Amino acid sequence: MLEEMQEVWRFRYLLRQFVARELKIRYKNSLFGVLWSVVPLIISVLVYTFLFNNIVGKKIDNYSAYALCGIIPWTFFTTACLDSCQSLLNNYSIMKKVYLPREIIPLSYVVSNGIHLMIGWAFYFTTFYVIWPLVLHIHIPLLPAIVWFPVVLVMECLLVLGLSFWFAALNLYYQDVKYVLQTLFGLLLFLLPILYPAYIHLEGLHRRGMDWAYSLYLCNPIAAMLTGYRESLLQPVGPELWNNTLHKLPWDQLFAPTWTYVVASALTFLILWSGYTFFNSRKWQFVERY
Amino acid sequence: MPIEPPPTGEEIPAIEIVHLVKEFRILHTGSIKGALSRIWKRPEAVQFTALKDISFTVPHGQTLAIIGRNGSGKSTMLGILARIYRPTSGTVKLNGLGGRPARIAPLLELGAGFQNDLTGFQNVEFYGAVLGMNARQVKDRMAAIVEFAELGEKMDTPLHGWNDGAKLRLGFSIAVHIDPDILLVDEVLAVGDESFQNKCYRMIDDLQHRGKTIVFVSHDLPVVERVANRVLWLNDGVIIQDGDPATVLAAYRASAE
Repeated sequence: MLEEMQEVWRFRYLLRQFVARELKIRYKNSLFGVLWSVVPLIISVLVYTFLFNNIVGKKIDNYSAYALCGIIPWTFFTTACLDSCQSLLNNYSIMKKVYLPREIIPLSYVVSNGIHLMIGWAFYFTTFYVIWPLVLHIHIPLLPAIVWFPVVLVMECLLVLGLSFWFAALNLYYQDVKYVLQTLFGLLLFLLPILYPAYIHLEGLHRRGMDWAYSLYLCNPIAAMLTGYRESLLQPVGPELWNNTLHKLPWDQLFAPTWTYVVASALTFLILWSGYTFFNSRKWQFVERY
Repeated sequence: MPIEPPPTGEEIPAIEIVHLVKEFRILHTGSIKGALSRIWKRPEAVQFTALKDISFTVPHGQTLAIIGRNGSGKSTMLGILARIYRPTSGTVKLNGLGGRPARIAPLLELGAGFQNDLTGFQNVEFYGAVLGMNARQVKDRMAAIVEFAELGEKMDTPLHGWNDGAKLRLGFSIAVHIDPDILLVDEVLAVGDESFQNKCYRMIDDLQHRGKTIVFVSHDLPVVERVANRVLWLNDGVIIQDGDPATVLAAYRASAE
């Protein structure tokens, strides 16, 4: 595996060119350029905030910050996974003609989407820490937990990379992997703590004596990643505000226990290692199809 | 242009192939449903051998043409040399001049590797990287590549407005400016107008004089006669004949009748 990684390093200029190509094609002839990675975020936050305030009828202060904090990493997660899922097929003609370390192909899609992720977070910080205090005089406190933010960011990228290796290789053999993923992601938007915090599941599961199910939920690397971002950036809001059938939970239960983060991180590394191993074991057969 | 004397043949050859076998297992592609149904109905493994025990050596500076009917294994051979396929068994050694690691440049068929949404210049950067150049080499050789391709103003426009001839010129220009030890050519020299074709032949002559090795696959026997100084005739993955162009081509033509 070390040898394969050295080969990728030797081809780093090619990786850069793949990433540059993605960015150039995405922004070609576009006056607004980089703005286009922010506009979809703004639109979905506006939609969810409107739905939440007017249809669900909840008033949570700064809901848009809570929503955006989930939507930014989730958008990266889904687009990077879907792009790399399709990546080998899109670059099949190159793979069939030229030698290159083939993992560069899915990797380049993770990196180019990672750049959009960074733009998304830059947008988040300027909105809530510069524009809001100055224009709307709303102050969102910076928490000490923000030191964990870069850690969560790195873990998310590793998770996405690991899954990308799996999906890219599998999609070459079973071309419906992509459709399964699209459907799954649509479902996960509601099952995962993207538009709401994880702890609103706690009381319902506790009442049924299923505390273990809640822990399991938090050990899932995607849920852990989303919860990690939210805990590092925002104060928890009481569950009774999200859903009035829930009672006020004690303050400490609003945070995910440390051990679930440890398990989720271990799972992330496992996914990355197994994904890269699987990809490498198959990568020389990718073009041997008839 | 000053011409270096062709190197003497005593050193390490450019290509050494020993007992090469390449089998393809026909992989099942399709859907998850298909995969599940195969758990119950296990199909026989479909396998075929594209190259059966091939051995040959190509010294530096030689131009080898591989000929044969469709399905004879010549494209597989080129794929092995381009390191796209891993041999099933046997060894393939590619050596650069003076024992350096070999630089191998495949001259791709039209379209492969070009990005229609990018401009000519952007494509040189991308395609150059695909063929193994680094940032500096691309920068240093950009002017020469553009000049050789004779595309001028066109280089600033995206490729989807280009005709095939222009794309071919750019592709050929990039490939020869990689300064490869081994140039792999797959059936592309027939495209382009006569003056550009002549230019390509001159470039090939020049590469030959500089001791570069060229391997090409072609159905176009006159081109083979003109360019090659050795011909390898493959049929069903086996070498039928290997020798000077006149002899092998005569035998090949006789068999085709």
